[in-house]
Amino acid sequence: MKARRYEVVYIFDSTLEEAEINRRLERFHALLRTEACPEPVTDVNHWGKRTLAYPIKRRETGYYVVVKFETEPQVLGEFERAIKLDEGVLRHLIVIDEGAMPAAIRIEEVAEEEEEELELDEEEEEEVASEVREESEG
Amino acid sequence: MKRPGKVCPICEMGVRVIDYKDERTLVRFTAERGKILPRRLTGTCARHQRQLSRAIKRARFLALLPFIRGYAR
Repeated sequence: MKARRYEVVYIFDSTLEEAEINRRLERFHALLRTEACPEPVTDVNHWGKRTLAYPIKRRETGYYVVVKFETEPQVLGEFERAIKLDEGVLRHLIVIDEGAMPAAIRIEEVAEEEEEELELDEEEEEEVASEVREESEG
Repeated sequence: MKRPGKVCPICEMGVRVIDYKDERTLVRFTAERGKILPRRLTGTCARHQRQLSRAIKRARFLALLPFIRGYAR
């Protein structure tokens, strides 16, 4: 299957040591490696300790890490399972990376379709409006 | 924020894809208690409003934005 670009945000327990967090990241990222993608991880960004907008598992702070990677979709299930089983991860989110160039082209195509739809909607609205006017006159 | 401009504020910023991790921008489109503001107040275009609502919901899940501001603190 074809590789796709993804992005994952981890919120680690902020009481963990940095070395401990890096060890976990390595363990998770090893699961992403496939024959087609020997180097899945393209960017790792440590945001560090941040105050959470609301408590998660009674914790007020979390250690944020944002990772961009490229892999085949079928390995994601096992990857996510490993994250879920880890008590040190308060929360995580995996999304398709839309900031990437191929996605931008796709969005432009969608935008054109949307414009057509919008035109249709306007016509419909006019029809409805004229019907309403007729009713109020009669 | 109360008076809508003629053009979408997000188009004006030159952003094509709204980033859910950029909570500083996202808070501008939420009300005092953290609700997502309607298009009629912010003047965003339909496409960006859809992206915005998804981005805000993701940011809430990641505790970058509160679901309800000023609750349980």
